[in-house]
Amino acid sequence: MHSSTTNVPMVKIQVNGQEVEVKEGSTIIEAFYQNKIDIAHYCWHPGLSVAGVCRLCMVEIEGNPRLQIACNTTVTPGMKVSNVSEKVKDAVKWGLDFHLINHPLDCPICDQAGECGLQDQYMKYGRNDSKMGEAKVKKHKVVDLGPRVVLDSERCILCSRCVRFCDEVPKTSELGIFNRGDRAEVGTFDGKPLTNKYSTNVVDICPVGALTSRDFRFRQRVWFLKDKETICTGCSTGCNVKAYYNKEGVFRVKPVYNAAVNGHWMCDDGRDVYKFVNRENRLIDAKIVSGGKTEHMQPMELAKRLGATLKVRASVALVLTGSHSVEEYEAIVSYFKNDVGTTQIYHWINNPDMIDSFDGILIRGDKNPNTKGLIEVLAKNGISTQWKSLTDAIGTGAVKTVVVAGPENQALFPDMKVKISELSKAAKLVWMTAGKNSELESLAGDVALLPLKTYVEKPGTFVNHAGLRQKTQAVTSIVPGALSLAEAVQLFRGEDLLAKQTPEGDKPNEIGKGRVDNEFTLTRGVW
Amino acid sequence: MAEVKYLSEHYLKPEYRSLDGYKKHGGYEMLAKALKMEPQKIIDEVKASGLRGRGGAGFSTGMKWGFLPNNGEPRYLLCNADESEPGTFKDRVMMEKAPHQLIEGMLIAAFAVKSHKAYIYIRGEYMGPAAILEQAITEAKAAGLIGKNILGSGFDCDLDLYLGAGAYICGEETGLISSLEGYKGQPKLKPPFPAVQGYLKKPTIVNNVETLAAVVNIIRDGGQGYRKYGTEKSAGTKLFSISGNVNKPGTYEVPLGYKMIDLINIECGGLKPGRKLKAVVPGGSSAPVLTAEEAERATLDYECLAGMGSMLGSGAIIVIDDSNCMVDVLSTITHFYHHESCGQCTPCREGTGWIEKIIHSIIHGHAKPGDVDMLLKIADNMKGRTICALSDAAALPVLSFVTKFRDEFEYFIKEKKSKVRGGQIYAQLHH
Amino acid sequence: MSTVQTVDKNSTFKVKRPEAASNWFLPGILLGLTLTGTKMLRNLFDYVKSMGGAKRELMPTVNYPEEKYEYSPRFKGNHVLTVKKDGALRCTACMLCATNCPADCISIVASEHEDPTVEKFPISYEIDILRCVFCGFCEEACPVDAIRMGPEWQTPGINGSEFQYDLKQLAYRPALKGGIVSIVDEEERHKAGI
Repeated sequence: MHSSTTNVPMVKIQVNGQEVEVKEGSTIIEAFYQNKIDIAHYCWHPGLSVAGVCRLCMVEIEGNPRLQIACNTTVTPGMKVSNVSEKVKDAVKWGLDFHLINHPLDCPICDQAGECGLQDQYMKYGRNDSKMGEAKVKKHKVVDLGPRVVLDSERCILCSRCVRFCDEVPKTSELGIFNRGDRAEVGTFDGKPLTNKYSTNVVDICPVGALTSRDFRFRQRVWFLKDKETICTGCSTGCNVKAYYNKEGVFRVKPVYNAAVNGHWMCDDGRDVYKFVNRENRLIDAKIVSGGKTEHMQPMELAKRLGATLKVRASVALVLTGSHSVEEYEAIVSYFKNDVGTTQIYHWINNPDMIDSFDGILIRGDKNPNTKGLIEVLAKNGISTQWKSLTDAIGTGAVKTVVVAGPENQALFPDMKVKISELSKAAKLVWMTAGKNSELESLAGDVALLPLKTYVEKPGTFVNHAGLRQKTQAVTSIVPGALSLAEAVQLFRGEDLLAKQTPEGDKPNEIGKGRVDNEFTLTRGVW
Repeated sequence: MAEVKYLSEHYLKPEYRSLDGYKKHGGYEMLAKALKMEPQKIIDEVKASGLRGRGGAGFSTGMKWGFLPNNGEPRYLLCNADESEPGTFKDRVMMEKAPHQLIEGMLIAAFAVKSHKAYIYIRGEYMGPAAILEQAITEAKAAGLIGKNILGSGFDCDLDLYLGAGAYICGEETGLISSLEGYKGQPKLKPPFPAVQGYLKKPTIVNNVETLAAVVNIIRDGGQGYRKYGTEKSAGTKLFSISGNVNKPGTYEVPLGYKMIDLINIECGGLKPGRKLKAVVPGGSSAPVLTAEEAERATLDYECLAGMGSMLGSGAIIVIDDSNCMVDVLSTITHFYHHESCGQCTPCREGTGWIEKIIHSIIHGHAKPGDVDMLLKIADNMKGRTICALSDAAALPVLSFVTKFRDEFEYFIKEKKSKVRGGQIYAQLHH
Repeated sequence: MSTVQTVDKNSTFKVKRPEAASNWFLPGILLGLTLTGTKMLRNLFDYVKSMGGAKRELMPTVNYPEEKYEYSPRFKGNHVLTVKKDGALRCTACMLCATNCPADCISIVASEHEDPTVEKFPISYEIDILRCVFCGFCEEACPVDAIRMGPEWQTPGINGSEFQYDLKQLAYRPALKGGIVSIVDEEERHKAGI
């Protein structure tokens, strides 16, 4: 954003008396946005073209008697701009009134309540009763635009962000504004569903509750959720996301701007990734089946026990997937190479035939967040193996124990079933995974199952398709006993875990920032 | 001075519609003359003539033509025949009576601005004029007046007619361009202006029918010759459409600077016997209303009306006598703007509806005492806050009606009946 | 029966000793007995009278649980979820009561309603009445008059689960005789365009 390194000349302007520097040719609203100065706006979005229709980003420019919209006015050197003068405030207040007169004000049942542009601006500029005593315009409610997006036309302020998004980003142009004047409504032509792979972004960019996500709808009030940034592990793009969670688990993810990775957007598949993280889809129990006898125990205890058996066993092979972080790979590869003494470490590639595909926007065929990282670590340790030699070795009995780490998100591993049947031929199978799998759990023979943490429960580094290293933080804790691979290795070695890993540096709930909280809500949704 | 026949010299001759008839009266001679001139010379002549846009804004035509950037991109000339301002019907008369005059003017203009593609954008309701124009274009094409190498000059220009779908907003130049491009007829953000990025993002000139037709006269008489009518700043003649409570409503051509009251009393035969002039809307429904006293003083030129806080607009004079209730008149106007708002900008989209609802509740007797002030506040906040001028067009009549005839609004709210027509139910078409 | 006086700002309390004659407590005892006896007789006759159908006025003690004391209409007792005219729940599951609840005793699960004009409604609404402090904040937070604090306060139960009030209990318990209809009429609101 603030690229002073590029050779675009900079322009100095004054915003509310404060001197700021912006690139030549940028608009006034970009000057506000880049310098984090508040300005009311609905239709302008940094990732989309300028529409100039909400008429809220009014600014007073010295020497110009008429208020101008900041989103379509280019900066000129020495320009003096203000959006705090009484004239501007009055204009914004009226602009807001115009937005609100036909708005149904059904905040109690609106999913956007708590993160709504109308509510925010109202608290800043409005705070007055509606002046309109006449009946409101009635429009369509609860319209299914597509499988993921629900439209409420009455709440819509016709900012056209969603329409521009579909035109400009996926370039599918499903959405349009139909009819005129205050009868105008967003819709799809001829009822054709909104099915592009990026459709849920329109929910994020909708400044009001007109577009809501079918997935998140009514599941949780946003003020009961905390958020923390992480990355999406749905594919090798590694989109930056914010995970919204509370003590019950993760409820949704939203993209976070990163010019180098995903811009402002993320795909719909990525939005479903969080689902495997929640408790109901997780492997909770650590268990060991040996000689027809099943023992349940704490994961830590099982890991310690497994460590003891691994050390004395030769003929051990390790299977890794691209789901884990670089730190974990380093720990486990070095353990198997140095402590166990095997170089039989295999890379399980889930979809080799489409691994290089790319849709031109964000979605990549490599459905692992860290394939590059794994390859890097394996190469560093001088390991190059072929999957076939593992199956051969299991067949001949050269490999007796197979330790599998991963996959994290089994939904992205279409060959899960095949691999289970392949690997369960080994004399002893140790499977460390995060998700529950009925086939794994019903395996007879010598099997140990160890629950692992998911990407939201541990810090780590992921290397995306372009070789960009992204460090993530632990977001929350969902399965208390689960281990990360690095922790498992520590336990294998017989060491104790150091101080328990807590999500580092809890920061206050962003959604509620700047709003006066009810004294009782402070402790809600947070434990 | 009285009514003149300058642009409309041959309008009453039926043969003037056809190419042969038009040629008999000197048609297309000016095109031949213009094609021999330097394009810049034509622009200079038009500048010298002081011709101002006849569509409503009154911007100098020659200057507009001079704004086109010299970047080698193709240029487009569009004729705005989407005459949808309530009360305006002068372009229809021109297109019906003298379609070739418009075509000739357009070809001259296209030559002057070096455009090789011109369109006439005509409103959807004008099927009659459209058929006449279509006929004229076909004739002109057959005669080699449109197309390649016009009159052997080496200048190519194609001209086509485009029928709109009947939206007021498509009379706004960027709305017209959107519609012509095949999109929903919605105005575009300015800047960039059409002269820089217009139709298909190429430099584009949009002119009114009357403006383009006047170019023929300017070529004939020269820039100075055109100035024989009108005033210093408002040169030439203009066609006015007079409607409302006059004995002879219709389209009249008078020189600019003519007294409005004379036009009403002499040309239009005055008001009905026993009626008194109450108000005049001077330039189409969007122009602020003038009281009778102001109308007495007004002259029909851009400056005088601007000085009175109104505008000449498209020259649609709506005469209102004392049998009309101003609340009713405003109700019709506000209904029109509510219906025609394109819905892009919030103040216009919501404000036009809000104003109509308040007027509606005044007429139906359930308005609140503060509603008159509310109307003023709403209109004030719609003014100048949107992409195009429709919001202003909707706000200005409200502001002027309510300020100048406030007593009628107050009376209606208080007594729940009209000051003029009493308690009679006003049968509105749309209610 | 001693009286206490402050004599001086700076001095300690000076206790005035009772007179010698009143050291003898018999008058006090007699006075007490008279009072008790009068009350007893009066209550007895009053009660006997009331058995004949007359209204009892003088005796403040009631024979609970056959008789119940009538509380002020503003009394904040057990919660009631109001219903619409058609008997459906008025609650829109906005969770403002749960947000406002200082005792954290309300848990709601919202769901999509098939009627688009209703849109959202609770499929589960539970109040842990043992945690409830009867503050009435839920009532105040409710934007649609869906929850009220009713007059009932007798809430016996034999195990913990009986104090976990569910939807059925809150809106349709027998004492409510089919439910309390909310004063907010959304049909009229709809017509008025609110």
